[in-house]
Amino acid sequence: MRWAGMTEITGGSTLDPATVAVGDGGPTVEVEDLSREDFVRYAGASGDFNPVHYDEPFAREAGYPSVFAQGMFTAGVASRFVVDWVGVGVLTSFSTRFAAQVWPGDSLTVDGSVAAVDRSDDRTTVDIEFSVRSDGEGVVLTGTATSIYPTAKSPMD
Amino acid sequence: MPSYPLADLKARIGETKTTVEDLTVEPGKVQEFAAAIHDPNPLYRDPDTARDAGLDHVPAPPTFLRTWYFQRYRPEGVGIDFGFDLGLDPRHTIHGQQRYEYDQPVFVGDTLSGKTTLADVYQRMGSRGGTMTFAVFETTFTAADGTRVARVENTRIETEGAITDDRDTNDQSAVGRDD
Repeated sequence: MRWAGMTEITGGSTLDPATVAVGDGGPTVEVEDLSREDFVRYAGASGDFNPVHYDEPFAREAGYPSVFAQGMFTAGVASRFVVDWVGVGVLTSFSTRFAAQVWPGDSLTVDGSVAAVDRSDDRTTVDIEFSVRSDGEGVVLTGTATSIYPTAKSPMD
Repeated sequence: MPSYPLADLKARIGETKTTVEDLTVEPGKVQEFAAAIHDPNPLYRDPDTARDAGLDHVPAPPTFLRTWYFQRYRPEGVGIDFGFDLGLDPRHTIHGQQRYEYDQPVFVGDTLSGKTTLADVYQRMGSRGGTMTFAVFETTFTAADGTRVARVENTRIETEGAITDDRDTNDQSAVGRDD
């Protein structure tokens, strides 16, 4: 791993690996009043041009009430929560399960908590669980992430 | 229902294809992607902020590898089904799960390639009746120097009609595919 041996890496995390504990909560992320434009912008940024996400007649013909967000759009909003809290570059896993769709007009709230902490001589491993709720559908995504922080060895080691 | 018998699909488990070529992690694309997911984090935009966080380069967001799906990074014939023609109805095939395991951070400046293996295919009855077909694709992304960067698992689910609530996708929990 490219971060092996580094002791200063935080990846922009706002948690303190020295004191983090199971049950700690992270900073809530909110994204309000999504629009079709958000899904179009994600299509353009990600390369996912499945028309069910931006072509209203196509979506209705397929049996949906309207277009809906790409699952990976919602996963991206969830990743903002994860990175604001535990950082990026220190992540070893990021996993999401899609439970329901996100529709135009929905507002999303992401929050989560620490599920496990493992401290060894040279590193602290933190597992978190998180979910994305929409005001329309309830829980639309559940996920887990793992991050590893190298720990400076004390001079006595 | 897929247009091929399940036994034929199962016989293809383990098949591997090159699916990603020269996926370039460009600074402008990283910023555009971060904006699209509503993430204003300066880490994705400013090398000094990245350095202060202990990172050698500007990192990409955790799901940035999704951009492999731009046509310019895909070999001919590779589409949403990773080039595996499983006969799933694209209008009623949804994204069930996505899992990333990183060996290394993905940084601006990286050029990655990827190979995808059909890891599993199976069927279950949905809670409202109808057959659900699950296809699990595992993609390994490799840096230009040959080192593995990430392993990505993508689960696609074909249903027999449009899903507009969570009842059918929740059936995954009943089949033990939760993380």
